Amino acid sequence: MTGAEIVLEALEREGVDVIFGYPGGANLPIYQQLPRHPKLRHVLVRHEQGAAHMADGYARACGRPGVVFATSGPGALNLVTGLCTAYMDSVPMVAITGQQNTTLVGRDAFQESDVIGCSMPVTKHNYMVTRVQDLPRVIKEAFHIATTGRPGPVLIDVCKDVQQASCEPVWPQRVDLPGYRPAFEPDLSRVEEAAALLTEAERPVMLAGHGVILSGGEEELTALAEKSVTPTGTTLLGIGAFPVRHPLSLHMTGFMGTGWNLKAVQNADLLMMVGMRVDDRVTAKLSEWAPNAKTFIHVDIDASEMGKNVRPHLEIVADARTALRRILPHVRTPAPERRRPWLTQIDRWREEHPLKYARSNGHLQPQDVMIEMYRRCEDDAIVVADVGQNQIWAALWWNYTRPGLFINSGGAGTMGFALPAAIGARIARPDRAVWCVAGEGGFVMTAQELSVAVKNRVDVKIVLLNNFSLGMVRQFQDDFYGGVRSEVDLTEMPDFVKLADAYGLPGLRVESADQMGEAFDFAERTPGPVLIDFRIDPDANVYPIVPLGKGLNDFTELPDEYA
Amino acid sequence: MSTPDGAAPARLRVLTAVVEDHPGVLTRVAGMIRRRGFNIQGLSVGPTDESGRSRMTLTVDAGHAEVDQVQKQLDRLIEVIAVEDLTETPKLSRELALVKLAVSGPRRDRAVAEVDRFGGRVVDVGAAHVIVEVSGEFDRVESFLEALRPYGMVDIARSGPVAMSKEVRQP
Repeated sequence: MTGAEIVLEALEREGVDVIFGYPGGANLPIYQQLPRHPKLRHVLVRHEQGAAHMADGYARACGRPGVVFATSGPGALNLVTGLCTAYMDSVPMVAITGQQNTTLVGRDAFQESDVIGCSMPVTKHNYMVTRVQDLPRVIKEAFHIATTGRPGPVLIDVCKDVQQASCEPVWPQRVDLPGYRPAFEPDLSRVEEAAALLTEAERPVMLAGHGVILSGGEEELTALAEKSVTPTGTTLLGIGAFPVRHPLSLHMTGFMGTGWNLKAVQNADLLMMVGMRVDDRVTAKLSEWAPNAKTFIHVDIDASEMGKNVRPHLEIVADARTALRRILPHVRTPAPERRRPWLTQIDRWREEHPLKYARSNGHLQPQDVMIEMYRRCEDDAIVVADVGQNQIWAALWWNYTRPGLFINSGGAGTMGFALPAAIGARIARPDRAVWCVAGEGGFVMTAQELSVAVKNRVDVKIVLLNNFSLGMVRQFQDDFYGGVRSEVDLTEMPDFVKLADAYGLPGLRVESADQMGEAFDFAERTPGPVLIDFRIDPDANVYPIVPLGKGLNDFTELPDEYA
Repeated sequence: MSTPDGAAPARLRVLTAVVEDHPGVLTRVAGMIRRRGFNIQGLSVGPTDESGRSRMTLTVDAGHAEVDQVQKQLDRLIEVIAVEDLTETPKLSRELALVKLAVSGPRRDRAVAEVDRFGGRVVDVGAAHVIVEVSGEFDRVESFLEALRPYGMVDIARSGPVAMSKEVRQP
């Protein structure tokens, strides 16, 4: 078998069904073999960054690792942003890149680049394969590393002469990685202590991150919240881990979180953080975060998250679902009168600080678009958001009930993520409606992938929240930089209806709320991709928001005169 | 991380790591240390008694990070098999220094007397130079170099420390 055949055979053995990729000189041998593997569906992208985001969206929508092919040099380097996006959000992915011949590596040959060096800080692990007999082992290890423990992207750089060389492959039955032992089971005494602390607390709050979703722990989380009567919120990436409409729900936390969530976090006497990194977007000014918490419990599968940002009193290094499941039987339900003051207080905050937006200035409001979309969608529709204001509107103005329904680039904050990730998500879940929500700024960064949606008849509905500016940056400049608007104007953009037409998909424009219904009707009854250019209020802002550099107590809301 | 007496833990961490002897492992370790804002003060790498495995001894300034992050971030690397933070453990630490002195005549005798005082050795002698070596903990090597400085020191090569815990763990 040649190296190229081994690569494709190994992917089949790993259960891969889709590859997002782009051919070139250094991965030609693999592409020459591809037609002989009809079980491996290949999606030809228009830019390698698109391939990485499609694989990312695919993985987040179905839980299986996304697979990417790219050639050497610029092909591989174009993956770096996509790898970083997946790495920051712990998304399982395997990227296989072509590389120059082993004899030419290091000589600055054509399209040679140090892909291992470039991808090292944005992958969980990477490999350069210089011997054909190593391929079966390396590919097996790569999938194992990408999908276990804290998931993440793994890159395999395969020299072209290795793809062409032959050997009798030895398929390993198991992996042997002495330095890789992901934590799984929690320490029993810590589990009991966590349960006791949660039961004894007067004002407990739980926050759930992406780790709860990655571990499939949403039912355990809800069970624990209910049994211990603990108000529970999520991070941006944890959205879906806890039903937004649940009576104990605090919705989203962080510097653009809901007012009642932030009030609860700031007044909690115990904070239990599950499957999350506690990063700066969650805490805002760290020294002012959760000042009344006497006890922090941190559950995460990655030991290095313990004390990286917040030093917990109780560390539980374990798979989130397993930890929650182990804690549950040790928890006693507190007497109703013990929790009542805290729950009553949170209800009061929920009433005092509801989500608000400017409703009556004559412009189309992005929140109205989200509310109308939500009203029309089944509960299991998938929303893939880009980065910026559109991301927060899509996060807050939708009542997510389950994991896997809200996909966005949380850690890396990669503009241009939404369209390719939505394509990947729909390919992974053709049974579900997939909505891509993006601003016009991020959308044009990867708009070339529209061709992929059209060619493959990928049924994604694109909701462009077009405010003619880089809205989040514009809001920051308006609110935190003295109103000096610098380089945020995007009035010169393509006519998106014509752009859609040029790519071969229907496009519509909506300029007022009364045109929304017709446009959504059209999108819903038209198979295949549809783009709707919503011309929204150019001054629409995200609220609540914590001013940059301030603590959560300083969150600001929509000024009353606009409400 | 806190010390038994509650004092602030040392920013400078001494760690020993057993790693897979693969190409690029040193790049991974060094790259991680830079990316996390740590700083390498000393590093030595050598083989272990097990083939395919190397031992690294690192002296790392934790920078702005919590000090236990150095060990935890090292441990995350797939090719790092085991890491120990020896900073607060009873341990032996040794560094080797080779020093070339351009010295002859009676001054050479005085220099050699200094070398003897530190338990060092003369390892090479020429007409106009002498090469001496010393091994010991960092401070001892520093004092040794200080003592020899008046004797025409023309070159120094230092190994960086290797360290070992004094504790014996039952298998």
